[in-house]
Amino acid sequence: MTINKLTYYPGCPSATMAMEQDISTKAVFEKLGIELEELEDWNCCGALEAEDPKLVIALNARNLALAEKKGQDIVTPCSICYYNLARTDKALREDEKLRAELREIDSSLEYKGTVKAKHVLDVLVNEIGLAELSRKILKKVNLKVAPYYGCYLGRPPETAFDDPDEPVLMDRLIELIGAENVPFRHLKTKCCGGPLMITRPDIAFEMARKILEGAKKAGADCIVLACPLCGMMLDAKQPDIEKALKIKLEMPVIYITQLLGLALGIEPKKLGLNKNIVGTKRILEKVR
Amino acid sequence: MPIKAWELDPNFKYEIMKEPGGEHLTACYQCSTCTLGCPITELIPSYNPRKFIQMSLLGMRKEVLSNPDLWICALCQTCTARCPQNVVVGDVLSVIRRIAEKEAEAGNITIESSRPLFEKAFLHTLEKYGRLYDMGLALEYYPNREGSRIKGMRAMMKDYKDFGMRMFKRGKMGPLGGGGVFKGMFPEKIKDKEVLKKIFEQMGEKEK
Repeated sequence: MTINKLTYYPGCPSATMAMEQDISTKAVFEKLGIELEELEDWNCCGALEAEDPKLVIALNARNLALAEKKGQDIVTPCSICYYNLARTDKALREDEKLRAELREIDSSLEYKGTVKAKHVLDVLVNEIGLAELSRKILKKVNLKVAPYYGCYLGRPPETAFDDPDEPVLMDRLIELIGAENVPFRHLKTKCCGGPLMITRPDIAFEMARKILEGAKKAGADCIVLACPLCGMMLDAKQPDIEKALKIKLEMPVIYITQLLGLALGIEPKKLGLNKNIVGTKRILEKVR
Repeated sequence: MPIKAWELDPNFKYEIMKEPGGEHLTACYQCSTCTLGCPITELIPSYNPRKFIQMSLLGMRKEVLSNPDLWICALCQTCTARCPQNVVVGDVLSVIRRIAEKEAEAGNITIESSRPLFEKAFLHTLEKYGRLYDMGLALEYYPNREGSRIKGMRAMMKDYKDFGMRMFKRGKMGPLGGGGVFKGMFPEKIKDKEVLKKIFEQMGEKEK
């Protein structure tokens, strides 16, 4: 299937904490000849802090309705935004009463269900496809990679687009670009602790430690992931984790779009590889 | 601790089941798959989703709602994905937390966790600006958690001093990374704030 244009939902951390994910997503799609048109005046999806599903549905109905006016599917690089957009899409398709309730709140919340919400990883592997991607690979990325999927790509079942226990989409991209997947099956989908980062850092740090030390033990040069909250926890908080738990990790953590971008021959700076908190120099030396 | 039948609330399960997400509570047959796969239980053995469900089914309303463990769920959805009975465990626990919050607001219980304050501060920035504003969130959350502005600022500095410096150096906040001198320090606002107002008003109505 050829896609020329998608509506892009960047998500709140895209301008600050996860700017390298935003930059690299845009760079990769540009290289692939697909236009990402940012959804105008998008609002926050409610993340995991909006626990009332009705609130989540109302917030995301507005984004979906805005995307529907543009007529293209909506794609986001964030796993949590994806979950909220996708579950809202599903709930509204199935429930006319709910649609009517939202219409009553405001006409701008009226969503007919004519577009789909997708995660960047899903689009890359399942829509653009590995065959198409492989034609555009220019460089060999000679890295050992720990693919970390986190929670919201394979769970919960209502919105998942990969296997809950043995997800494969990132593994396939990593193989495609000539890198090696280290044995990481036991940690791939184990929560990094991100949602407890502020309220229970003691628990969150232990959870993140398991992932980071596991990657190190498996011989990985870096962890690759697809969620800005995981990125914040495993990369931006890594020095805090090292300090609090008195351990040395120095494990680079990059987004899958940054890794793929390297293989596509995009300049590291244009992939925001100077923005990751744990330095990425060692990784870049292995790209030829 | 013996269970006193006369202190149980037989309606608690229905109270949960009528909320969105709580519908499948009674499908639980206590296999404990939720708890065995839980990454929190692995670290904090007292944390037990299966028990929360059994206690709710029995009507141990007060014990469930005032249990501090309710607030250490990482929302990872492992329990939900693995449950053979499709109880949607994660959503059930979320319903229980929302009931607990309402009870706390009514002054009937006290919650020994700062998580509700965090969630509220998050939603306040969203209601005001339409997008997450990290600094606004922190400026509300820390003083509320610590009970005073000064203590709150101190706690915030402790958590954010090094973190903030890292963000600044990499240009993720401040002038070094493009996007303006004060990037990340002031909120990004959406244009259509009227609709947000309506959404939050409506949600507030429902809670009463």
